[in-house]
Amino acid sequence: MKPIRSRSVRAIAAIAVAGSLALTGCSSDSGNESKDRAKTQDDAASQQKPVQYADAAASNGPAAEVAGAKSGGTINVYVQSDLSHMDPGQIYVSDAGQFANLVHRGLTNFQEDKNGNLKVVGDVATDSGQPSDGGKTWTYKLKKGVKDEDGNVITSKDVRHTIERQYSKVIFDGPTYVQTWLSGADYRKDLPDGPYKGKHLPDTVLETPDDETVVFHFNQPRPDLPQALAMAGYAIVPEKQDTKEKYDKAPAALGPYKVSEYKAGKSLKLVKNTQWDAKTDSVRHQYVDGYNFTTTIDQASQTKRLIADQGEAKNAIQWTDAVDTAQIQDVVSNAAVNKRTVKGYQPYVWQMSFNLDKIKDKKIRDAITYAIPAQAMVQADGGRYGGEIAGGLFAPTLPGFDAKYDPYGKLKKPNGDLEKAKELIKEAGVKEGTKLTYAYSNSPRGQAQQVIIKDALAKIGFDVQAKEIDRATFYEQIGKLKNPYDLYMTGWGQDWPSQSTVVTPVYDGTQIADGSPNYSHINDPQVNKLIEEALKLEPAEAAAKWEQAHKRIVEEINPAAPVYYSKTIQLFGSNIGGAKYSVESSYIDINNVFLKQP
Amino acid sequence: MLQFLIRRSISAVAIMFLIAAFTFFLFYAVPQDFAALSCGKNCSPENLAVIRENLGLDKPITTQFWDFMVGIVAGRDFAVGHCSAPCLGVSFKSGDFVWDSLMDRFPLTLSLTIGGLVIFLLFGLGTGMLAAWKRGTVVDKLASGASIVLSSFQIYLLGPIVLGIFVYSTGWMENPKYVPFTDDPSAWFIGLLIPWAVMATIFTAQYTRMSRSTMIEQLQEEHVRTARAKGMSQKYVFFRYAWRGAMIPIVTILGLDLSSLLAGGVVTEFTFDLAGIGRLAVESSLTKDLPLTMGAMLFGAFFILILNILVDIAYAFIDPRVRLS
Repeated sequence: MKPIRSRSVRAIAAIAVAGSLALTGCSSDSGNESKDRAKTQDDAASQQKPVQYADAAASNGPAAEVAGAKSGGTINVYVQSDLSHMDPGQIYVSDAGQFANLVHRGLTNFQEDKNGNLKVVGDVATDSGQPSDGGKTWTYKLKKGVKDEDGNVITSKDVRHTIERQYSKVIFDGPTYVQTWLSGADYRKDLPDGPYKGKHLPDTVLETPDDETVVFHFNQPRPDLPQALAMAGYAIVPEKQDTKEKYDKAPAALGPYKVSEYKAGKSLKLVKNTQWDAKTDSVRHQYVDGYNFTTTIDQASQTKRLIADQGEAKNAIQWTDAVDTAQIQDVVSNAAVNKRTVKGYQPYVWQMSFNLDKIKDKKIRDAITYAIPAQAMVQADGGRYGGEIAGGLFAPTLPGFDAKYDPYGKLKKPNGDLEKAKELIKEAGVKEGTKLTYAYSNSPRGQAQQVIIKDALAKIGFDVQAKEIDRATFYEQIGKLKNPYDLYMTGWGQDWPSQSTVVTPVYDGTQIADGSPNYSHINDPQVNKLIEEALKLEPAEAAAKWEQAHKRIVEEINPAAPVYYSKTIQLFGSNIGGAKYSVESSYIDINNVFLKQP
Repeated sequence: MLQFLIRRSISAVAIMFLIAAFTFFLFYAVPQDFAALSCGKNCSPENLAVIRENLGLDKPITTQFWDFMVGIVAGRDFAVGHCSAPCLGVSFKSGDFVWDSLMDRFPLTLSLTIGGLVIFLLFGLGTGMLAAWKRGTVVDKLASGASIVLSSFQIYLLGPIVLGIFVYSTGWMENPKYVPFTDDPSAWFIGLLIPWAVMATIFTAQYTRMSRSTMIEQLQEEHVRTARAKGMSQKYVFFRYAWRGAMIPIVTILGLDLSSLLAGGVVTEFTFDLAGIGRLAVESSLTKDLPLTMGAMLFGAFFILILNILVDIAYAFIDPRVRLS
């Protein structure tokens, strides 16, 4: 889950960021901040628990009522740019993922209790799925009474259509887990036109024996399928409603809200979907009458409006944007405003990826890892509310996270350990003035951080050539196998709460390809083997394997220096009720909000 | 007059074509893969190829340009449907027809322009002429002093101050927003009041200074002195002779200001979180959304050319000595 699209397309707003960071970082730790940190750690503890797969009883609606919830009114949503997509097949990033929670429904979904414990429940399906054949086959039965916004009953054909359209050229931006598991990396070749010309996947791959049953057949156990299917990218697109490319502008809702008006670059209005039946949904509510998105309000303006809390801002929330870094102190130092925030970890780990084709000596990679002043890097991304120094490559939102894990002593020496770094450089025989090419995104954060990196590496004898890359194509550029850069800052977050969605895409040598997120090009047989084994195990059993792989990657290969875990702080208006940090989405829990005075 | 209009229209079309060609090929001169801009997390070569095909970027550049020009005249077909003439293509980012996006944003830009125009012309010209009339008096000094101070302000400075006072601190007004006039005239008026006031304050100051100085200049002209010498009243001379002459430079500047406002008041729109043509142009340029950028540029160029022609026509009406030859 690359954070860039949702976090760095903040093109125009971030003028005063750099100057304000010092303020954010240097002020003393207040009582509020200690409480915030404790709450964040509690949330993280919930996130670190393995996800449970729920049965039919837990999958039945309605969802548990939110204490004090009232019905009615419209929530105003502040966003600084359009949602990336509305067609579920194309949805892969957070802004559209939050939208999907309100509008779309998949076979499964994550259910979060008031303590932040997560379960995978059946959403359109009756339960989280029934595995057989050692986990190679998964069967889903559909709930009765689930309809799209026009009242069409959802059948297994719609589920098949949803999966098969992902093989067509209409879809190019969404997740590829299920397609790849079903048909391999070249999955498009199996159904190049998707379902649009009457062809379908064979029953040996995807079977719909009756209107209410869907069976997935894999060539190896896929214990993570219930979690993969909970991704917005696999939400149902009813066959009758599919308008191909046009669907991205006007999707048919199955969830509690539907799109009533969309104006690109301006606004989006959601209203109640009268065909949604709360009895079929154990996760969502329909407390408010609708949501009005304004997609032109930059972060600075969002923060100003919400701090002021005047007029329509009382009914407003931030979507996936965070509090403007220049105004964080204004928020946290004012108890009344601070009460109206949600804070917590995001799933992203920022790391300095080494191009292993170029920096082959581990001692050099270790030296750079020791030299990076992680604290300064955090300061450049919003200070303690924007991030926290990382000891490893697993985020605090992942099962198996160990807060004490710190093989490079980054927590003990947050400004870097130059002595150790110089020692390693000497051992590696690196000459003073050796050139290193550092690629960075031209986002405000990228620009601030490149100064820090350049300075830190100069202190251990490197002549860093910083190469700026347009933020819009940064990952595409560094994702090229033959890229000319030695190192680059990358961020990655889990697609669901499992190490498999971090270790596999980013550190699996079998996945190396142009455009792959294995940015370091790590290809270690031992890691690859551990991944292969872990992927076949149930999440709880796989944990030890993932941990083993993690330690091997960080300590013995070091393809990417851990730098910091990202965090967020969001604001909402004083009339918003039920607002809390969602362990699942890492943003405001959109399923529970209501208006205190509709 | 007709001959003039035909001649200027032909040259306007030629200029528009040159702008379109220049923008198009300038974009492609940048070593940039536009498909990569739409390529998300799974940016594999296969996905890039799919996007290139979807966007028509797999065709030669000259073919793409030809298709673009044909679309303006005859319309085009895209995966998202038929785009009727004048078709300016489909946005890489949103997938919307560019013409529709422009037309969707234009009412706001037009509202901002008209509202601001009425205020700053009324107050700017009025105050400037009054200052010229009362030259050297307290009224003149006050008007001149205030106009110098206010014209040194900028929208991005004055806007947040006004918002801070009237919206964030006191809550006397809501944040500016655009409601179509046809939906609710009073909400339209109230929603745009702050942007109009801020924009008009700065323009009023500029027009006060300009109309004062041109009026004083005109009042010193020989034909004005002659009129006075012939015994005509000061009021008659002021409005019948001096005012006409003073209008020529003002109309010239007004034409330029209007065309840039209609092409999009970028700073005003960003300051007040409004979505007009200016924001569209800047955002499309930042996201390298070529069709949208070209559409916004052509749209702006259209107004510049049209207003140039209108200004030339206005000259002839204001001052009969000017001929449209």
